[in-house]
Amino acid sequence: MDIIVCLKQNVDMKQIRIKRDTREAVLDGLPLLFGDMDKNALEEAVRLKEKAGSGKVTALALGSVKLKDTIKDALAAGADEAVILIDPLFNNLDARTKAQVLAKAIQKIGKFDVLMVGEGSTDNYSGQFGPRLAELLDLPALTYVKQLEFANGKMKATRNMEESFEVVESSLPALVVVTSGINEPRIPSLMQILKAARKPLQEWNAAALGFTAVDLAQNDVQVVSNLAPVELRKKIIFEGKLEENVDNLVNNLIKEGVLRG
Amino acid sequence: MDNFDVIVVGGGLAGLSAAYTLGKAGIGVLVVERGDYSGAKNVTGGRLYLNPVRKLLPDIWEQAPLERFVAKECIVMMGEDSSTAIELTSRKFAQKPYHSYTILRAKFDQWLADKVMEAGGIIITKNRVDELIMDGTKVRGIIAGEDKIPANVVLAADGVMSLVAEKAGLHQRQKPLDYAVAIKEVIELSPQIIEQRFNLEPGEGTARMYAGAITHGMFGGGFLYTNLSSVSLGLVVRIKDLMEHKPSLEAPQLFEDFKQRPEIKGLIAGGETIEYSAHVIPEEGISGVSKLYGDGILVAGDAAGLALNTGITVRGMEFAIASGVFAAQAIITATKNKDFSAQSLSEYERLLKNSFVLKDMATFKNAPRFLDNPRLMGLYPQAVCDTLEKLMFIGEQPKSRLVGTAMSEMRKKLKLTQLLKDGYNAFRSM
Amino acid sequence: MADLNIKAKLAKDTIKADAERHIKVNAEKCKVCKERVCLFICPARVYTLNKDGEVALELDGCLECGTCRIACAEIEWHYPRGGYGVQYKCG
Repeated sequence: MDIIVCLKQNVDMKQIRIKRDTREAVLDGLPLLFGDMDKNALEEAVRLKEKAGSGKVTALALGSVKLKDTIKDALAAGADEAVILIDPLFNNLDARTKAQVLAKAIQKIGKFDVLMVGEGSTDNYSGQFGPRLAELLDLPALTYVKQLEFANGKMKATRNMEESFEVVESSLPALVVVTSGINEPRIPSLMQILKAARKPLQEWNAAALGFTAVDLAQNDVQVVSNLAPVELRKKIIFEGKLEENVDNLVNNLIKEGVLRG
Repeated sequence: MDNFDVIVVGGGLAGLSAAYTLGKAGIGVLVVERGDYSGAKNVTGGRLYLNPVRKLLPDIWEQAPLERFVAKECIVMMGEDSSTAIELTSRKFAQKPYHSYTILRAKFDQWLADKVMEAGGIIITKNRVDELIMDGTKVRGIIAGEDKIPANVVLAADGVMSLVAEKAGLHQRQKPLDYAVAIKEVIELSPQIIEQRFNLEPGEGTARMYAGAITHGMFGGGFLYTNLSSVSLGLVVRIKDLMEHKPSLEAPQLFEDFKQRPEIKGLIAGGETIEYSAHVIPEEGISGVSKLYGDGILVAGDAAGLALNTGITVRGMEFAIASGVFAAQAIITATKNKDFSAQSLSEYERLLKNSFVLKDMATFKNAPRFLDNPRLMGLYPQAVCDTLEKLMFIGEQPKSRLVGTAMSEMRKKLKLTQLLKDGYNAFRSM
Repeated sequence: MADLNIKAKLAKDTIKADAERHIKVNAEKCKVCKERVCLFICPARVYTLNKDGEVALELDGCLECGTCRIACAEIEWHYPRGGYGVQYKCG
């Protein structure tokens, strides 16, 4: 069984710090890795292939120059080969354009049985990517998958509907969107990491996929700001005489609009 | 398939310096680091003395992510409610090539790791070395999880706790007398505020040592280093003293009390703590250096106990870098001779003995004994503060003679013989 | 004495919790231990007494410094597995 897994490179969210004064996230110098659910998707792909006894898993990712390092995580975790998409033109694409780029890359990779993605990325979780790919590539889509099984030429998926579990079946090729509970991704051993360095790796830029700067300039959705929520508690402590404190408190509450002056 | 000439355990300064030197010499080297990245598990107080190691890692320092060069040195004697500071501002320190720099390890080590990879070394992160492949007393490689990886030489550069050197029988479990615990906070402040508060030019930094009441007479002291846009504030206490102090004092509380001292508070006001860290430091000096080599194994950096506290300077990182480079040089020679026996690898010890590393440690061999003196960590700083306080204070009553004031103040607490003895020891240890 | 909020301090750090416990104490020995230096020597206050007066470990705050291993010969101590534990951003 041939499976393509799409992975998104993002900063290690556990390392993010919020600047107290500006509420901005500090991202500089943080390690880059693949999203949690992307790892679930990869793990599920590797398990499917192992069960099928033949085929290959191709990891596909779009990202920064550092992706050459990050992709080794996927190769160590069981992908047989990888394609990475690196180009300055790929920076800051919106979800729609990004799906178009990835769809082109998938077509260029060629034949596959399953296209596997995570439900949402660890950083901005727009959750659009899977369905968009299915549309662009004209594939049946199995979403919110918490359990997956391949038997008699059909892919059987249990969908997590929160209130209920729906079991669906589809022919192949198909797109599968996995949720976080589907598996526990393996931690690659030292040897697997060493071997990863020798697995086939291809790098494609925008031109290789037939995109021009003009094609990729059409970002409809722009990020305007990305700030941590305002801390609700003001944590103002009044020190001094009781009467002054009460006056101070009342004045502050008026200033905040809690009381009317 | 995967046969490495050398496996380095630990991607810190010693390990990376060795790997860089080996890579440049075309020797196949694998570095195994347990953190997410090199530097993820490393902590420094804050300062690297560059002169002794500048030439050992040639051509890389220009681009190194160093924080600030130290232009001002300050020693602060801390009394209970007073303190006396001695500050050295030297034009020599503010001239290129600068002799010492503050650094932050997560940043610095990641950069050095990149240099290692450019030099052809392979670095595997997120992997812990669990055991050594042993053949009698000979080391033949490493075991990480299920994987056994053979190598001609293993370099134990796994830090102060060095479980690898312990497994190879090169040192024993550490003793509380010979090690201190350091607690540090990195507090973010803008470069402008740092330069204003510490009276520094852009790029200049300061290093401050604090000794006295903050450690309640226990061996240790505080430190403050200015980074580019943060200060590293820390407190060090010997583990044995902390264990035995009555009443019991809680290590993190000692640090917090230090941080809240008025001498410190103003320096970090408005700053945001961005990291809280702890680390153990070897304090035994040359007698604490482990066995440095065995069959198929070498030990470098903190793992070998290569650190030196003279009371005035606290050094470790340049010893780590140098020992890594010398280990690599010994391995390069051993590779030429195809001989990885203890005898062949003893070249490493010879190189260390001929270098500043073991020479400086030998010169200051008495420093740990000299510093192991509660009077030094409590009484003397207090006495200095008390005396100056008396001399400088004008009250309502007529003032008594200065010399008399000072002497009577000192005599209350100190015996002359003791003072002479401590003075003699200070002389010997320097 | 200054207020010490160790939890708030540790919250500044990235610590990836390892399901495998990397430090173990011997409950029997802890029960009869008089000094219990672990309770005050640890920079991260990993060691506390639970409501039954037994030594309990909160390993998710461990900074892996090794102070406890040096202070107490009875502690079975290892680093967390690769990729787990504290990941310093400054160091």
